[in-house]
This record gives sequence, structure tokens and C-alpha cells, in this order.
Amino acid sequence: MFGLPIRVIPQVRVCSNLLQNVRCLTTQARVTVKPVQSRKTFLIDFYKDMMEKNPVVLFAHHNNLLKQENAHFRGQIQQLGGKMVVLRNQLFQVYLRNSHLPDPCAPSGRHKQNRKHPLLPLFKGPTAAITFSETEPDKMAKLLKMLEKSSDKMFVVGAKVDGQVLEMPQVHEFKKLPSKSALQGQLLGLLSVLSGAGLVRTLEAGSHSLYLTLQSHHDNISPDKEPKSD
Amino acid sequence: MITKYFTKVVVKFNPFGKEAKSARLLLSAIPPAQRLTGTSIQNKLLTAASTESPIVKITFKDKTEMEADPTKMTFKELGNYFDRHSRKLGLKESIESQ
Repeated sequence: MFGLPIRVIPQVRVCSNLLQNVRCLTTQARVTVKPVQSRKTFLIDFYKDMMEKNPVVLFAHHNNLLKQENAHFRGQIQQLGGKMVVLRNQLFQVYLRNSHLPDPCAPSGRHKQNRKHPLLPLFKGPTAAITFSETEPDKMAKLLKMLEKSSDKMFVVGAKVDGQVLEMPQVHEFKKLPSKSALQGQLLGLLSVLSGAGLVRTLEAGSHSLYLTLQSHHDNISPDKEPKSD
Repeated sequence: MITKYFTKVVVKFNPFGKEAKSARLLLSAIPPAQRLTGTSIQNKLLTAASTESPIVKITFKDKTEMEADPTKMTFKELGNYFDRHSRKLGLKESIESQ
């Protein structure tokens, strides 16, 4: 039943393709709270995919946007390389509570759920997620600047960056950082500068001291030779 | 909630706090067309460490200011609280228009 391709809704098919790989490995049918092909199950799977694939997820409050405002924001975010998704709060909360479990759609007892997930309090009122597939703080800075100009029609309330939950002051600090590749470059530069002086000597120190010890022992056990000064 | 007589709305809240629900629902209850017709809406996000207390402050057309604490009230209670003055203004308006 589950091997059959779903041709009803194109969106569902994308999700089922992702899950098909998993299902090929297991012969057991997937057990979910809601029917496997229902929209609720699809959305929870979609949120799981979204949160795990994107290192940067910003959560924004939106005040009932007009159609053209909505299109404007979506267009602007897309230009920056991000994607805006309006969330269904209850389903997103279900995902957050079960995010540490292998299948967030599967039935889970109250004691197994994580009811103290730090992101949970954000999902009260209209919330949208803005996702970026790469950690680029300069794009985040541009986005925040764009949203500031929007006269509070939409504003960021919190974020998740590389598995860490950030509040607004931390988000504003984060956006000032250089991008991840630039930071890695800096680290590499720093290491190569250090290797000129300290690092090479430190790495050599072990073998050098071993050589000196053996050499002195050799000098001790051969009495016919006069001990050399190092 | 009757939002017709609001001229200025100031909301300060911590999005991770208890007050976030009523504050955010109040913000989203103001129709988008009203922004264009002159109601100014300001919001400030607080953090757990900030000293300011969460507040909802509304200025009406007759320049009356009303304040409420979103931590202690639900959205429905907030609505009823501000409606008390809005209804007065509505009544006044209907008498004057006759």
C-alpha cells in the first residue's frame, strides 16, 4: 500500500518520495496518529524536513497582511535566497514536542514528549517561518533591515541557528558576524600564521625530546667514547 | 474588539513570555485597512533581562489613553476592557449624527 506512488497532490508526492527511501528499508507499515496520507501528517513531515535541512530558521509574527503585502514580502525574501512559510501553530508545536523522536507523527506518550522545548512559547498568534539553506548572517541582516522598514506589519520574534535558539538581542548580534566561509578562512589564516612560529615547534617537541633521551642513553652505555656535549 | 476608534496602539511584550499570546493576538486583530487610514501601530520586543514591563497602551480618537497589562489578561479580557471606552465613543457618535 505504501509503495504505491501518490498522484493526487503534487506536494504530497514530493514528501512521499522523501519518505519512500526510509520505507524501502523497513517492511513495517508506518504508524501515525493521523492517517498517513492526511494533510496533518504531511505538514508535520514537512516541518521536520524544513527544520532539519535549513541551518537558519527565523520565526516572524505577521499582522494580517494584504495580498500585495504578502506577495511583496515573499518576493523580497526569495530574492535574498530564503523561503517564507506560514505555519500552523498547533501542528508545529506537535513537531517541536516530538522532534527528538525518530518519527514525530507516531503516537507518543506524554512522558516521552519534550514539553519544555525552548521554541514552544513562540507559537501563539500568527507566525511564519523564514528559512535559509546556508548560514549567511549578511543575508539575515538584509532581511531584518527590510522588515524594519515594513512598519511592524511583520517582525522577527525569535530564531533557530545551527540548533541554537536565539532571542532578538542575540539575533542582532549574530547578523553582524561574517559568513561561515569567511570565518573558516580566518581560522585557516590564523593557523598558518601560527605554524610559522609556535605550532611547528610544539608538534616537533615530542620526537625531539625522545631523540635527545636516546642519544644520552647511547652515550652512557658506550664507555669507550667520550661523552659529547649537546 | 472594536478597533474603529483607536488612533495609536503601543504594544511592548516579550515574545517568549506569558504575555505574548494576548499581545500578539491584539496586534493581529487590527485590520490592515486601518493602518492606511491613520492608526499608528508601534511594537517593541522585550527580553527576559529587560527592565521594562509588558504593556498595551491605546490612544482613542478623543485622546483618552488606556493602559493594560497583557500578562494578567487574556485577549478576550483585553478586548472587553478597551471596548468599554469604544462603546462610549460609538454612542456619542450616533447621538451627534442624528
